Amino acid sequence: MTTSRALDQFLSSVEKRAFKIAQLGLRNDDDALDAVQDSMMKLVQSYASRGVDEWRPLFYRILANRIRDMQRRRTVRGRIMAWLPMRVDDEEESDPVAEAPSHDPGPAKRLELDEAIGALETAVAELPPRQQEAFLLRNLEGLDVSETARAMGCSEGSVKTHYFRALASLRTSLGEVF
Amino acid sequence: MTEDFEKRTREVLEESAGRLDGRTRSRLTQARHAALAQLAQPARHWWRAYVPAGAAAAVAVLAVVIWSGGPMGTSPGPAANPVEDLELLADSEAQDFVDDGEDLEFYEWAAGETES
Repeated sequence: MTTSRALDQFLSSVEKRAFKIAQLGLRNDDDALDAVQDSMMKLVQSYASRGVDEWRPLFYRILANRIRDMQRRRTVRGRIMAWLPMRVDDEEESDPVAEAPSHDPGPAKRLELDEAIGALETAVAELPPRQQEAFLLRNLEGLDVSETARAMGCSEGSVKTHYFRALASLRTSLGEVF
Repeated sequence: MTEDFEKRTREVLEESAGRLDGRTRSRLTQARHAALAQLAQPARHWWRAYVPAGAAAAVAVLAVVIWSGGPMGTSPGPAANPVEDLELLADSEAQDFVDDGEDLEFYEWAAGETES
């Protein structure tokens, strides 16, 4: 298989979960898309020649760094904007077809899932950044402890600690819903 | 208990990731294609990044040389020329002339006579 095709398959397999991770970290769809695109570009540009097994932790390492960088910039921008007069943006025109969900499991199931997704995403978004990273990489992306440590740039012990604390915090806040 | 909770959260997150709207899925596909398009471009050698900066520096040096040595440039006086200063300091005969001092009054008188 050519490198191009292997990369296409790899990126295609991770892009939705990567977007979800970025979206929960940045709480903004456009920023999340930018973070995922930048990470894809960087992976292809710098690490295409690496082994296929290395791509996943490398990709998530790049994405985690990008998310952190954007969070920092946003904090700085927020401080500056706090000094400026408030601006009211024009409402964006929505496209009902583009924004339609990809599939519909039925009204009752859908309502239950909607509530679960809303509650979980709110709780995950409120976790401290490192706990959030550990939880999403382990739970959503399915990386093992070693891969998560490489992606987060920390020790395996730290990953276990962050993950354990994230689970404990989520279980406390989601006890009634889950 | 913990495994059930982890399994449940994983299912919910997977469901959420699978529900992305058409616009987001389309933009993710575009992002992937843009990233892969880099592979089709010829390899960029590291030194090429320095070519524009090197060319700009060369032009700047050339401009300084032409400007300072060309006919339009302002001509500094002899005392301002560092090369001449160096030659004067290195000229042992001139140094002896100053150090000697014996005929200094004669030379001052001779210079005064010449001016008048």
